[in-house]
Amino acid sequence: MNIPNVNHTVINTVQAYKQAPWRVQRQWIGTFMLAVLGLAMVAAIYLDVASQAAISGREIQDLTTEMITTQQANADLETKLAGLTSNSAMETRAQTLGFKPIESSQMEYLIVPGYTAPIPEILTGVSALRPSAPSIPPEYTESLLDWFGERLRSASTTSLIGVSQ
Amino acid sequence: MREQYAWRSLLIAGILGFIGITIILQIVRIQNSPEAAIFRAQANEYANVLKTYYPDRGEIYDRNGHLLAGNKTVYEIGVELSYVNDKRSLALAVGAELGLNPDDLYNQMMNPQPGQQYLVLANYVDADKAAQLQQLKLATDAQTKPGELSSLAGLEFTPHPERSYPEGSLASNLLGFVSHEGRGYFGIEEKYNDLLAGNPVQVWVPTDPNKALDIPKVPNGTTLILTINRDLQASVEQILDDSLTKYGAVHGTIVVMDPSTGEILALASSPRMDPNQFWNYGTIYQNASEFDRAIGEPYEPGSTIKVLTMAAALDSGAVIPSTSFLDTGEILVGGATIHNWNDQAWGQQDMIGCLQHSLNVCLAWVSEKMGAQTFYTYMNRFGFGHLTGVDLAGEAAGRLKVPGDGDWYPVDLATNAFGQGISVTPLQIMMAASSVANDGRMVTPHALEAMIRDGRQYNVPAQFAGSPISVNTAHTLTQMLVASLENEASSALVPGYRIAGKTGTAQIPGEYGYEPDATNASFLGWGPADDPKFMIYVWLERPSSSIWGSDTAAPVFSEVAKQTILLLNIPPDNIRNEIAKP
Repeated sequence: MNIPNVNHTVINTVQAYKQAPWRVQRQWIGTFMLAVLGLAMVAAIYLDVASQAAISGREIQDLTTEMITTQQANADLETKLAGLTSNSAMETRAQTLGFKPIESSQMEYLIVPGYTAPIPEILTGVSALRPSAPSIPPEYTESLLDWFGERLRSASTTSLIGVSQ
Repeated sequence: MREQYAWRSLLIAGILGFIGITIILQIVRIQNSPEAAIFRAQANEYANVLKTYYPDRGEIYDRNGHLLAGNKTVYEIGVELSYVNDKRSLALAVGAELGLNPDDLYNQMMNPQPGQQYLVLANYVDADKAAQLQQLKLATDAQTKPGELSSLAGLEFTPHPERSYPEGSLASNLLGFVSHEGRGYFGIEEKYNDLLAGNPVQVWVPTDPNKALDIPKVPNGTTLILTINRDLQASVEQILDDSLTKYGAVHGTIVVMDPSTGEILALASSPRMDPNQFWNYGTIYQNASEFDRAIGEPYEPGSTIKVLTMAAALDSGAVIPSTSFLDTGEILVGGATIHNWNDQAWGQQDMIGCLQHSLNVCLAWVSEKMGAQTFYTYMNRFGFGHLTGVDLAGEAAGRLKVPGDGDWYPVDLATNAFGQGISVTPLQIMMAASSVANDGRMVTPHALEAMIRDGRQYNVPAQFAGSPISVNTAHTLTQMLVASLENEASSALVPGYRIAGKTGTAQIPGEYGYEPDATNASFLGWGPADDPKFMIYVWLERPSSSIWGSDTAAPVFSEVAKQTILLLNIPPDNIRNEIAKP
């Protein structure tokens, strides 16, 4: 007949265990440590992103400088090439190779039926090629606020479409 | 016991908390201290750097893509004064490498402006010389002990572009030049300065890498493609130079133009200068109008004007080709007697004969037959006395006196009819004559074929400046001019091609009337007569071998025409006719 007493004792023991001060303390410490860990993770991610952004920024600065230098070098080389292929230089080279200027009386024309001489009208060809922009999905570039604003805008657009229909 | 431990734990936690709060308070205190403000101010000084960007000036190409004006890299060499260790050695090294006076350099470094940190020692230094100096600096740096400043410390090299003309003096009269300040002078360089110029821009550039995208993009200048043909230009310049020597002329001008579009294919004028050495301008030219005589130096052209007098007469119905005229060798107009070029009477002539023998008396009679109002109305329509609107800087309008002007006299009607008492530029005559070569439509001469900006090409269309004469007049006059040259067996003729043209020999007005022995010799012509592909104007100033245009300018025209035919691949008339057959 002691069974009810035994049950009562067990219940009291479990309750005492749950309400033990050291256990409550641990729960608080655990919660605190979890918060600290969360903050540390956010700080680490922020630090990582910020440093990567700084590195990328520095790379952009370097590449901009390099681009200007390369453009100048290109212009320099183009001018040098033009000097090497200038009219006087080419004439001298042609004469050295044994060529002589033609007289108009020496010119012979051959009629080729159906032939039309091509006329170079476009000197640049198509518009200059532009490097294709990297197609990064917006999830990787937009901030939380951007994402939230976009969701709001898309929701309002959808509702408007719904109204018009 | 447990309470004792709890007390200790609380004590440690309290101490740690106190330390933490103290650190945070200290951080806040330091951030807001006066010293922090000083550091922030110092940091702000380095947050932005004043940089000068030198965008490339637009390049200039000929119609076939040959570079006529480009850019090359030169260096600005300066010193950061705060890093200079040995001013004397630095002045000696820079002076020796760049050919500058070391004492001057030393004095400059010793006496900088108040607050000056950077001093430019030399600018526009060739890349080769700058490279030699840079090698010397690197070698000196390598020999210096770590932590010490070398004797050439503080020396800075800043590259930037400079205008360069790889063809030297070729087409210099048309191109113009660019000063070190980046401003274009004369010709294309001045006319299109705003399009071409990528002027240096000084901007504050953030050093913060997170603001890398704030670096300003300074666009380069627009690239221009000209209508001129480089090879033809070189040939024409060579012919001009040879002609000046051969005929003993003081100066000369030759222009080749497409009369159907107004495109200038070649423009040579003497003297020329190498625009790479633009500082020689003052020693080569006495005044600006001499830079490009084709547009800047109006003159009395003489009989080449007769083409336009006859055009006006035919178009107004005053004469027809078969109108006969009895030439007695002189005619009295406005109280003055007009004579022929050889003071002789040529008897019965038709209008072709008047052109063929270039009879002043006949053309004076024709102008009187037209009347002053009609004559000057046509001269105005031809654009005399006005700018042609050619896209080259430095154009002069010339002078056409008209009735009502204080200095116009009735005799001017007669003298203007054969090209005296009127001042025009070669390009003005070509523009006017383009109406004869181009079915009555007059074209505006231009030198710009296309512009290239952001990888896109914008072609410049031909511009027409009205139709002063009818198609019939244009065709009739062309045939008359062809016949007059062929009848005369002119030295301007080109075998295999029908050429229309007219010589001109004009007296030169001086301080006390016309100079007795000096003339301007000219020739205006175009071909092939039935489908003109080129129009050429030759002007030789004061030729000494012969004063006549028929002996000097006409053969020069022929030579230029032969080269033009070769370089533009214009087949002879018989081949063209064969091709045209169905």
